[in-house]
Amino acid sequence: MDLTFTSEQEAFRRDVRTWVRSHLPADISTKVHGAQRLTKDDQQRWARILGRQGWHGYGWPREFGGPGWDAIQRHIFEEECAMAGAPRIVPFGPVMVAPVIMAFGSPEQQARFLPGIMSGDVWWSQGYSEPGSGSDLASVKTRAERRGAVYIVNGQKTWTTLGQHGDWIFCLVRTNTECKPQAGISFLLIDMKSPGVVVRPILTLDGEHEVNEVFFDNVEVPVDQLVGQENMGWTYAKYLLAHERTNIADVNRAKRELERLKRIARAEGVYSDLRFRDQIALLEVDIVALEMMVLRVLSAEQGGKKALDVAGLLKIRGSEIQQRYTELMMLAAGPAALPFLFEAMEAGWQGDQYVGGFPGGPVSNAPLASNYFNYRKTTIYGGSNEVQRNIVAQTLLG
Amino acid sequence: MDFDFTSDQEQLRDLVRRWVHKDYSFEHRRALARAAGAQGIDPTGAWQALVGLGLAGLAVPATHGGMDMGPVDAMIVMEELGRGLVAVPFAAACLMGAGALRDHAPAEVQAAWLPRVAEGQARVVPAFQEQGARHRWQRVATQATSTGGGWQLSGVKQLVPVGGDDGVDQAFVVSARHQGAIDSDSGIGLFLVSASAPGVTLAPHALQDGSRAAELVLRDAPATQLVAEGAAAVSHLIDIGIAALCAEAVGAMDALLALTVDYLNTRKQFGVTIGSFQALRHRAADMKMQLELARSMSYYATLKLTAPEPERRRALSQAKVQLGQSMRLVGQQAIQLHGGIGVTDEYAAAHYFKRLTCIELSLGDTLHHLGEVSARMEDSAGVFV
Repeated sequence: MDLTFTSEQEAFRRDVRTWVRSHLPADISTKVHGAQRLTKDDQQRWARILGRQGWHGYGWPREFGGPGWDAIQRHIFEEECAMAGAPRIVPFGPVMVAPVIMAFGSPEQQARFLPGIMSGDVWWSQGYSEPGSGSDLASVKTRAERRGAVYIVNGQKTWTTLGQHGDWIFCLVRTNTECKPQAGISFLLIDMKSPGVVVRPILTLDGEHEVNEVFFDNVEVPVDQLVGQENMGWTYAKYLLAHERTNIADVNRAKRELERLKRIARAEGVYSDLRFRDQIALLEVDIVALEMMVLRVLSAEQGGKKALDVAGLLKIRGSEIQQRYTELMMLAAGPAALPFLFEAMEAGWQGDQYVGGFPGGPVSNAPLASNYFNYRKTTIYGGSNEVQRNIVAQTLLG
Repeated sequence: MDFDFTSDQEQLRDLVRRWVHKDYSFEHRRALARAAGAQGIDPTGAWQALVGLGLAGLAVPATHGGMDMGPVDAMIVMEELGRGLVAVPFAAACLMGAGALRDHAPAEVQAAWLPRVAEGQARVVPAFQEQGARHRWQRVATQATSTGGGWQLSGVKQLVPVGGDDGVDQAFVVSARHQGAIDSDSGIGLFLVSASAPGVTLAPHALQDGSRAAELVLRDAPATQLVAEGAAAVSHLIDIGIAALCAEAVGAMDALLALTVDYLNTRKQFGVTIGSFQALRHRAADMKMQLELARSMSYYATLKLTAPEPERRRALSQAKVQLGQSMRLVGQQAIQLHGGIGVTDEYAAAHYFKRLTCIELSLGDTLHHLGEVSARMEDSAGVFV
C-alpha cells in the first residue's frame, strides 16, 4: 500500500503539464478559472488542439488511434487539464459514443466515425432521455421502424446537452414493442442535419441555453447507422453508462474550485471568519476523502482486479461536492451575489454605468449565483442520486 | 500508487480475525464488562492473547527483538480489533508507547525497554491528558523537577489507557512541564515513569463502552527524561494514535454495517423483510457511503504518518474529521435501522455505537480537528500560477 506515484508517472505528469500549459489558449483558461460562459468555439478550439495531439480521445486504446493510457495516466491527464483551467472535454463523442462504436460497431462505422470524434471536428449529442423516460430509461418510446434500407424515426428526446451545436446524435430508439422494454431498444447514430430533426432550446433556471429538446419527424436513418444488432441497444447503453461513470466524480475540478472558493472568500473578507472558514475546511476534507476513494477505484482498475464496490458512490459524492462548492462560493459573496446580469458572465464585459463596474463588487462575482443554480443538475443527471442509492443498496442488500 | 495488501499483511489480518472469532465473542466481552463493573473491562486475557500471537513487538525495531512492521500493518491489526470490539490497550502500548521509545527515547532507554516491550513483558502507555486541557496537548500542568541526577514528577493525568493487574511491567510516557507557562509549547518534556515507582497511584474506571482507563496521580514520582522539548513528539504520538483509532473505527463500522444489513434482510414487518423498504435501503446506502469515505481516510491517515510534520498533522486532522462524521452517522443509523433491539444492552449494535462514540471523543473530537484543518488550509501548489 503506497500513496506515491512512480517516477515514470511523475515524468508523465510533467510532460502532460508542460504540453497542456503551452497549448491551452489563455483566453479559454481565464474563462474556466473565472467560471465565465464558454462558447462553442472555445470548446471546439480546445477539442481540436487535443485532437491534433491524439488526446481528445484520451481514454482510447492505441488500435483506435488513442494514446493507450492506463487508468492512472488518464487520471493524471484529467488532473493536469483541470488544474490548468482547460474546459471539460465534451464527453458525448470521445467518452460516450466512441467506446460503444469501438466495442459494438462495424469496422466501417469505426472508420467512418472515430476519426471525426478524435479530431474534435464532429460534435456529438446524446439522445437518451425523453419526456416520459428519465430515470426509467428503458421506457423510451421514440420509434424506429425498418423500411427497406432505412429506419423511419419518430419521437422526441430531451435534456440534450449542447444539442444546439450537435452534428450527430446517438439515440436509444424502440424497434420492438412486443417484448419487455429492455429487449426492444436499438442504438442508432443519426445525422442531426437530416430532414425532420428539429432542435428547440430549453432555458434552465440560470437563464442558460445548455439543454434542448430534439424532435424526430419521419427522419430517415440508413440501416448502416445501426450500431451492433437490432434490439440489443440496452446492452450497449449499459456499457456506455459504465464508461460515463469513470470520471463522473470529477474530483480534479473540485480541487481546482476549492482553491477558487478560498480566493473568493478572501476577497469577500469571510476567509478570516471562522464560522465560514470551517465550512471551507469541511469541504476540503470531503474533497480529500473523495480523491482517496477515486484513487482506490483507479488502483483496483490498474491492478486489473474486480471493480471495487465503491464505484457507485463516486457519482453521489462527486455531485454533492460540486453543488457544495458552488453554494459556498455564492454564500461567500453574500449580497454581492444578488445582482444577476446575464451579460456580465461573458469575458470582457464592462458595466460602466455602475460604480466599480458591477453592482455586486468585483465582476468576478457575476457568475456565482448562476453557477449555483446551474449545478442543481448534477444530482439529477447521469442517473439521479436517488437511483444511485438504489444501486448501492442493491449491491449491499440484494 | 496502490492500495493492495501484501500476502503477509493478509495473513496478519487472518491471524487477528481468527483469534477474535474463536476467543473474543460479543458474549465473552459482555461477560467481562459485567464482571468488571465500574473498573472497566480487565484487558488481561486479550492482552495475553495478542502477546501470544507475537503482536506486542509489531512496531519495535528488529534490532530490539521486534517485528519492525509499519503503519499499514498496525492499521490492519487495529481494523480487526475494531471489528471484534476488543477492549485492550494495544494502540496505546504497542503503537503509541512503543513509538515513543522507538522514535523519541535515548539509546540506553531503548535498550532497556524495547526488548521487553517486544516480548510483552513491559507495557508502556502515553499519559498526556489533563483536566481542563481538552485536546490542547501543550497545556501541561504536571510539573517536572530536576533532582540533580534525575527528575521527579507531580501532577494528575487522566484517561490513561491501562492494562490489567497481570504482572507485566507497566510504565507511562508522561508529558510534564519543566519550564514555561501552562499552555506554552516549550518547556514540555517527555518522561518515563514506572507504575511501581513511589508516589505513583492509579485509579482505574470504566469508559462509555465498558473499556478501562485510569486516573494517574504522581506525587514526586521518580522519572527518566526521554526528551527535553517534547511538544513535537507528543504531536507525533497523538497522530500515531489517531491513525490507529481511525482504523479501529473502520473495522467497527464494517462489522456494524454488516450486522445492520443482516438485520434488514431478516426482520419482517407488514409481511416482508424491512430491507425491501426504500426509505431504509437509502439509509443503508448512506451508511455504506460514510463507511467507504472513512476507510479511504483511514488509509490516508496511515499512509501520511511518515510524511513531514505539517503535511502529516493536516492529514491526520482531516482523517479524524471524516471519521468523526462517519462514525456518528453509521452508529446512529445502525441503531435506528435496528429499531427496538438496537437500544438494548443484549445486542451488539449498541456496543459498537458506544465504542464509536468513544473514538470520536478520543485524541481530539471532530470540532477540534476541524479547527486544525481550518487553521492549516493552504493553496495547492500550481493551480493558479
